[in-house]
Amino acid sequence: MNPGAKKILLAGLAFAVVYGLLNSLSNIFLLPSAPIISMRPQIALPMVVGILVHPLAGFITGFAGNMFGDAVYGFGALKFWNWHIANGLMGWIPGLVGYGGIRRIGTVREFGILQMSLVGASAAGVAAAVVLDVFFIHLLTFPYSFPSWILPAFLTDAVNAFILVPVILLLARRIRLTLETRTILMITGLLLVSILATAGAITWAVLDDLVSHSAMVENFYIAAVVSVLLLVAGFIAAIVFVRKVTDPLADLAQAAQAVEQGNYDLPGLAGVSARADELGRLARIFEQMAGKVREREKTLQRQVDELKIIIDRKKQAQDVSEIVETEYFLALKEKARKFRET
Amino acid sequence: MKHDILDLAQCFFYTAADFGKEDAMPEIIAIHSFRGGTGKTNTTANLACLLARKGRRVGVVDTDIQSPGIHVLFNLDPKDAPHTLNDFLWGKCDIGRAVYDVSRILGAEDKEKLFLIPSSIRTGDIARVLHYGYDINLLKEGYQKAIEQFALDYLFIDTHPGLNEETLMSIAVADTLLILLRPDQQDYQGTAVTVEVSRQLEVPRMFLIVNKVPTAFPGDALAAKVTAAYNCDVAGVLPHADEMMALGSSGLFCLMHPNTALGRAMEDILRRITA
Repeated sequence: MNPGAKKILLAGLAFAVVYGLLNSLSNIFLLPSAPIISMRPQIALPMVVGILVHPLAGFITGFAGNMFGDAVYGFGALKFWNWHIANGLMGWIPGLVGYGGIRRIGTVREFGILQMSLVGASAAGVAAAVVLDVFFIHLLTFPYSFPSWILPAFLTDAVNAFILVPVILLLARRIRLTLETRTILMITGLLLVSILATAGAITWAVLDDLVSHSAMVENFYIAAVVSVLLLVAGFIAAIVFVRKVTDPLADLAQAAQAVEQGNYDLPGLAGVSARADELGRLARIFEQMAGKVREREKTLQRQVDELKIIIDRKKQAQDVSEIVETEYFLALKEKARKFRET
Repeated sequence: MKHDILDLAQCFFYTAADFGKEDAMPEIIAIHSFRGGTGKTNTTANLACLLARKGRRVGVVDTDIQSPGIHVLFNLDPKDAPHTLNDFLWGKCDIGRAVYDVSRILGAEDKEKLFLIPSSIRTGDIARVLHYGYDINLLKEGYQKAIEQFALDYLFIDTHPGLNEETLMSIAVADTLLILLRPDQQDYQGTAVTVEVSRQLEVPRMFLIVNKVPTAFPGDALAAKVTAAYNCDVAGVLPHADEMMALGSSGLFCLMHPNTALGRAMEDILRRITA
């Protein structure tokens, strides 16, 4: 599927309107201590558009949507133009991954690439906004803006995208439910619940205690950063773990396919059969089985080689002449010859 | 007289229906084996069915007058077939009246694709033909007429095993002869005689088909052996299929199990013999 330019533009703009309205709405719920950054679950929208429609459609949704949202909310359409670009990049980058060949996510590797592209897109978007500000806009001040603006922008986008985009792709059936994806989704889900519960508890404590609010802000960001680091580290660990289980299964499937095609040399299985665990045992049994099949095939081949079609030529000639020398046969032959000629 | 007019109308209709189609010569394909039980009737029915499925108009003649059987596979009740090949051979009816459309076994959409000329199952009829015999010219004329009247592309002849006079006739009228054998010492000698006799009868094209081959037997190697032993092309090696046995002639294998090794092997045979 390769949508035309018109379709990309229309889809991008249509979702931009939705995205803009959601942006202006969510500005009501600002993050603690961040003056302008809000909790933004809608960041998933340009990303999903970028993945499902086209990277450029994702860019348009992010860019135009942010502009529209700022205008509606009253910031002015052009004031934070660097953040329009940031949002555009966030819609564009995950789409590149989807557009680059992962049509449907079915393996841990593909899922890992997707999730990392979401975090990467958030980081790249925020970084671009910061760099543009430093050179052209000069609104940010360092180091003050870092905890109050830059970090919350990245955190909210990265975490929201990390949770919501896979959910939406799952609903859109762009994630195939394989053993690999089921396992990684489950582990990721558990990871998110435990980390977000911790982060949420800390946040609640901060919000509740208005007196020590400002004092706690610093702790809050440390907790948030640690949470995200934990999330990423846990996610990578989960990917490694799941692949340790599922890669041998892929090797086994490949070996089974080779046997099905009559190829009994299975060097690809050596790694799995060297394992001491259950999968290693399965691989070893499989190798033995392939060996047996090979032997049986050889036996059959030998049987055919040994098969002798014994024809007594003398008796054959005698039987043939007994038939072909009869008058009946000669007459028949003559008649057959005649109607073949006509 | 009334029937002649009907026949003429039918003939005209089929010719009109065929107008513009590529005009390949109709072909008579006889299927034979020296011994019984090689799977002749089943193979004939299945090959005919597969060809009809491809949109060709196919006729099947049961010339196994001594022990007719193919009507069972085509689901034709002898009660619904008052006229048979026997009646034609005695001059009791025109060949056209012994032709029955059995296309409904192919499926609901297929019409006028598959026709059967059955043999009589009445013992009196059987004994009479065997006693008096019939003439090859009459048989050939009958086939020719049936082919023309029903605009057939192929006419399959299912024969009686062995090399009696009726069988020799079927071989003599055929454009293509398929000889079935099993990979069994019992079949080898007789097949060699059949091949040689058929050569002497100057059959234009002749193929061997090895049937009931143990599954997983390397077919190519077996085909090469058979080709060398008989100096005759092998059209195909058909693996033994439990599904075929389970059917017990209560249906057509190629319709029920098209995607099996046997189904694919039959398709290969058709490709080779109709090439």
